[in-house]
Amino acid sequence: MAVVKPEMKSYIWLQTADGSIQQVEEEVAMYCPMICREVLQTGMGSSKNYAISLPQRVNAAILGLILDYCRFHQVAGRSNKERKIFDEKFIRLDTKKLCELTSAADSLQLRPLVDLTSRALARMIEGKTPEEIRETFHLPDDLTEEEKLEPLRNMTDDPRIRLLNRLYARKRKELKEREKLKNVEAEEEQHVDERSVDDLLCFINGADEDSKCARAPKSKKKNRRRKEQAKSSSTNNETGNHNQESNCPTSSCLNGDVPSPSKPSELQDSASVKFSSKLDFDDGDIDEELDPAMKEEIDREVEDFARRLNSVWPERIEEILSLGQERRPLSVNGNGSLKRCTAGLDGR
Amino acid sequence: MDTDSGRDLISDLPQSIIESILIKVPLLDAVRTSILSRKWRYKWATITQLVFNDTCLIPCNDKSIVSCNLVNFITRCLFLHDGPIHKFELNTSYSPTSPDLDQWLLFLSRKDIKELIIDIGEDDWFRAPSCVFFCPKLTHLVLVRCELNPPPNFKGFLYLKHLSLQQVIIPPHDIEVLISSCPLLESLTLSYFDSLELTIRAPNLKYLNLEGEFKDIRLENTPCLVGISVAMYMTDDIAEHFEQSSGCNFDKFLGGVPCLERLIGHIYFTKYLSIGNEQGSFPVIYQNLKFIELYQVSFEDMKELLVVLRMIVSSPNLEELQISSSSITTTADIYDLDFWEKDWPADCTFSKLKIVHMTDFSGLPHEIAFIKFLLGHSPVLEQMIVAPTIYVTDKVVKMLIDLLTFRRASPLATVKFVQEPL
Repeated sequence: MAVVKPEMKSYIWLQTADGSIQQVEEEVAMYCPMICREVLQTGMGSSKNYAISLPQRVNAAILGLILDYCRFHQVAGRSNKERKIFDEKFIRLDTKKLCELTSAADSLQLRPLVDLTSRALARMIEGKTPEEIRETFHLPDDLTEEEKLEPLRNMTDDPRIRLLNRLYARKRKELKEREKLKNVEAEEEQHVDERSVDDLLCFINGADEDSKCARAPKSKKKNRRRKEQAKSSSTNNETGNHNQESNCPTSSCLNGDVPSPSKPSELQDSASVKFSSKLDFDDGDIDEELDPAMKEEIDREVEDFARRLNSVWPERIEEILSLGQERRPLSVNGNGSLKRCTAGLDGR
Repeated sequence: MDTDSGRDLISDLPQSIIESILIKVPLLDAVRTSILSRKWRYKWATITQLVFNDTCLIPCNDKSIVSCNLVNFITRCLFLHDGPIHKFELNTSYSPTSPDLDQWLLFLSRKDIKELIIDIGEDDWFRAPSCVFFCPKLTHLVLVRCELNPPPNFKGFLYLKHLSLQQVIIPPHDIEVLISSCPLLESLTLSYFDSLELTIRAPNLKYLNLEGEFKDIRLENTPCLVGISVAMYMTDDIAEHFEQSSGCNFDKFLGGVPCLERLIGHIYFTKYLSIGNEQGSFPVIYQNLKFIELYQVSFEDMKELLVVLRMIVSSPNLEELQISSSSITTTADIYDLDFWEKDWPADCTFSKLKIVHMTDFSGLPHEIAFIKFLLGHSPVLEQMIVAPTIYVTDKVVKMLIDLLTFRRASPLATVKFVQEPL
């Protein structure tokens, strides 16, 4: 037990996930709601043997930071300005520390610190390009290019989006190579997953295996059939019977989303590519048993459409010349580029 | 690309933290996080606060395209959203068309909406669809420039704490019913209503904010009111109405607010209160009233002066008084200055009054007498700040001299004469 000092200071003992134990002045530790509750409800923390175990997200170094924060703020007499100045200095940490700090503060229920760190992290996201954000947080760039283009897009006028598109166009080749390499592996795994789900479905419904459970991307003809079934009349999606442009966007399957074919036409009005195939509406299609396969096909079409829609014109010309039999989608979007109409290629 | 060059720092944080971060960035940026990586695809879609304002606009020369895109953006965001939406704010000078707005509101009413703020268009009014009245969990409602017509089977917002209606067209009876059918209402703001007669019954109301042309305001059941702020404008017919109304407005308005702590009244507020006010009766004492701010008090109108005096005498714990004089000067030269000697009880003391700030001071006899009165009866006064109106420049020195000669009950009192910057 702590020796009774003349000032009668009392300490709370805290143990972090890595096993190290430290003692902290009582008033500082009690500033954390979680610690406060532990002390009051269970009486723990009064000695080394009964140290309060902190949540796993709090390691010793971060605990030090948190205690600094508590030590400053628990003093009642400080002015708002002082606190603000302290806060501003306090969050000048590297990103890794900041994230760990947010996580730790959240697990200790120290709301003001969570808000402070969230704001700092928000500042790192606001107004930055995706590349910058990925760089900051070490995020894997694991969406395929087309997937990236799917989500909500407000305007292609946005200079950032245009820049993105150009970057994507340049990196397309890189991606292609990399995907090819990854594909072999990735597909094996995904293949397994797909197959097991499909097998189950087939088994349950006793349908014949090959058309429904096979992986669609391998076969163009099957895709075409399914596509026809799936299309709603007003959609602008065209057949992207293209090639090994991308690997199979099966991420959605893996995640358990069940995207469905392009949904209500109101979405498609302005014909900028939106997130048609990734919506979580699958009511109409459960009985068809074609979901996994159709999904992929639709995904690819959409992605292709999106890609084309958004790629820079010169690259498009290149592509057209090299690939030959693609259709050009109707494109009416805000930046005034009008219909790049198909030259009546495929008979679709 | 750099999957290996450093562990992902942020994607595995709990969703509550991600939300905490994403609601601090403009919605457009939040939605854009969906292309960062696989895990981030739908992180934005479960945030519970959606704020659409000018940060969501992509600039374009053609206004109709901007407007169209904003509408599309909102529709798609809502459509893609997953989970409850607790706060929806739409703040833009563009006016979405009625079908869009109605659909959004219908959608939100099914999503446990708690805070709804709609401020759209600059000159047009939108008609609030009936689904707004059937958002059961609403705690916070702000509507600007809309037409409200509560349906007959509307039973009230049982959890509403904050209601703010600005330039809203609503039948007067309905607004009373609306207010009284929100039992938890704590804060009420009504702005720019025309010729309103209103009785407010809100047993939990703490903050009341009124601005506009009011004919008659009655606070009938508002025992918890802590802060009142009123800016009363006048039109000619209201002025006539004032002369004819019966009963004491002071009592009707401030008669039932014993817990009042802050009172702010602008423009014609004191005039409104002066109607029917009888001199010398102070039935209600405001024990908690610490701060009074009155703008544009006409020191030439004895009745208004009486209202001011009644207010401060009924507030034994008043600490700060800010008062500004109305700049309307008449040519009347007869001032009943005897009033200060004879009629007014000379033994009242403002035992807590510390700061008095008087602006637009033009040296009217009653103004000077008022200052003298305050100086003489405020034993703990620390600051008396007087700022003359810009129109009176030649009398300044004389006034200053006069002021400084008044007897001060407080040894600490400093009298400052400030030339306020224009």
